[in-house]
Amino acid sequence: MLTVADLERSNVGTVLLTRIAGFTSFLHANGYGVSAADSVDIVNAATQTGVVDQAILRWNLKSLLCNRYEEWQRFDALFDTYFLPPNIKVFIQGDAAIGKPEVPTGQKDSSAYESANDTEHELVDETRAARYAASREENLSSTDFSELDQADQARKVEALMRRLARHLKHLKLRREARSPRGRRLDLQSTIRQSVSTGGTPLRFAWKTRRRVRPRLVLLLDVSRSMNAYSFFYLRLARALCNELKDVHCFIFHTGITEVGDALRDPDPWRAQERLNVLAAGWAGGTRIGECLQDFNRDQGSRLVHSRTGVIIVSDGYDTGETSVLADALGTLRRRARRVVWLNPLLNQPDFTPVAQGMRAAMPYLDLLAPGGDLAAIERVLPKLIESLQ
Amino acid sequence: MTLADDRIADVAGLQGQLESAGYIAEASLAATLLLTLDLERPLLVEGDAGVGKTEIAKAFATARGARLIRLQCYEGLDVHAAMYEWNYQRQLLAIKLLEQDDRPLAEKEKDIFSETYLLKRPLLEAISCDEPPVLLIDEVDRADEAFEAYLLELLSDFQISIPELGTVDAITKPLVIITSNGTRELSDALRRRCLYQFIEYPDFAKELAIVNIKVPQAEEQLARQVVAFVQQIRRMELQKIPGVAETLDWTAALLRMGITVINDEGSERIIDTLGALIKTREDRTGFTPDVVARIAATC
Repeated sequence: MLTVADLERSNVGTVLLTRIAGFTSFLHANGYGVSAADSVDIVNAATQTGVVDQAILRWNLKSLLCNRYEEWQRFDALFDTYFLPPNIKVFIQGDAAIGKPEVPTGQKDSSAYESANDTEHELVDETRAARYAASREENLSSTDFSELDQADQARKVEALMRRLARHLKHLKLRREARSPRGRRLDLQSTIRQSVSTGGTPLRFAWKTRRRVRPRLVLLLDVSRSMNAYSFFYLRLARALCNELKDVHCFIFHTGITEVGDALRDPDPWRAQERLNVLAAGWAGGTRIGECLQDFNRDQGSRLVHSRTGVIIVSDGYDTGETSVLADALGTLRRRARRVVWLNPLLNQPDFTPVAQGMRAAMPYLDLLAPGGDLAAIERVLPKLIESLQ
Repeated sequence: MTLADDRIADVAGLQGQLESAGYIAEASLAATLLLTLDLERPLLVEGDAGVGKTEIAKAFATARGARLIRLQCYEGLDVHAAMYEWNYQRQLLAIKLLEQDDRPLAEKEKDIFSETYLLKRPLLEAISCDEPPVLLIDEVDRADEAFEAYLLELLSDFQISIPELGTVDAITKPLVIITSNGTRELSDALRRRCLYQFIEYPDFAKELAIVNIKVPQAEEQLARQVVAFVQQIRRMELQKIPGVAETLDWTAALLRMGITVINDEGSERIIDTLGALIKTREDRTGFTPDVVARIAATC
């Protein structure tokens, strides 16, 4: 934490330094990942380099306080807002593309900018809402989840998922670790062991490729256009959840909900009840992009790491902005190891990805595969496993 | 002279040094490099492929007269490849030779695990230099997260512990420059530890200066046209946007073909050299003679 002593030690004006230190909380309010420790750093930097020159102060703070490209882009506008005298308004309004800075109370000139921008946002929202009114509505009528327990298909699904799980358990990393039955000699530990036999390596140590335990994240589209397939996929998801530990399952339509716990519930009746509660909006409209964005924000950093395979099941009919979908998928793609998209419509021979959402998503996918029925899933399984490797 | 004036002079001075090392740097980059020296913190450089991230480290090392130690990251990079490894073959030999030796066992063992048999890899090398070197950790996003955590530990303490030898402390702290292409999201911990710099594609003036300094044989008119051409191509929707290295390659290719001016008449010959600039088949199909002639006409 920044202390008074820190400030006194410096030979730059205390008032100015406090103001600089306050800049971190301003950035924090604007969604930057800065901490209290950073204010000590910037005060150090300021005392070492002198703060009189605006350009140097700007460059120093920029490199110290930005952590990623998105923050780097917004920095200059925020710096101007905080440090420059009353011409602030001109500065920010000049660049509409830059994110809306949240201005702390006491910054008089900013209120005009904020309100102007807000009305603009509302206008956009209204027109969009009107256009998508029909499919954006959430479907509030209850859904019959008893279908989930039809015995005939359930057994086949479970068998298939067991097979997938078995394959996933055999995935190997390129890196090696010691193992009693390996394929390569582990010279290092062979020599270690040879110490006890006077330097003659009598026993060999082996190493083999390490097992990897991939995490799977399933994102199931349960909107109206996917109605025919939703139960089928939910059944797949449930079977998979029962086979593998590290599987996380979400359903999305106009919002996104985690259903893993409900699916794992051993009591089928209670599972149905819980799904009924969770599935408000089932078979409504779709906002894939916004759902993925929510997922990235709320779950992304927690769930998705470099060994995560994300499987999205959707037909790609999206009523949201396609740019939002592309952005969200891009973010997800960078975080995850693989992003696989199963599209039930892909089964049809004359299919071309005409759905807007599908087209926007294409560049970010590692694998786009059909998956309308069990046979299709079975066919795609080897490719799926390969892409998760 | 105030503190700030000194600093401005320092920044300009470093800019000049970098330029004589063959790198055109903005004042903001030079200021950040100076700050990394002052604060002894690593610098994380991000940007698209081909904007000159790696070159920063090379030029900075030249400008400061320091050694450049480079660690290229790749998937599966582990401690042995990055830090140190024992020279097993020599150790085995030594064990055999020492069998005839009368010294006590503990002493022999000390001998076998001494620095003679230690193969220094880049990270250990970097902290055991007498003069602070520039340590370039290239494309850190290609290594996996486990390695990133390891790196983080090194960057905070600047010491490496080798079980057989003990802890090796840094004699001098290296100046660390980390580059990333953003193929994978880096951990927040690593980002917090580092200063950050994002490098954009250069604008016209900067790229022209780069071409002038790197390919001095090119006439001023050709250099201007080349840069204008490339700048225009970057605004097109391409799969692989040409970087600075491509601009330089292309300039060299044009000179080699004896093309001294870009105009719409010579578009056939220009197309022959485009392989230096356009690197994927899909992008290449978009460059018909008409398109090239149209772009050339505006240069």
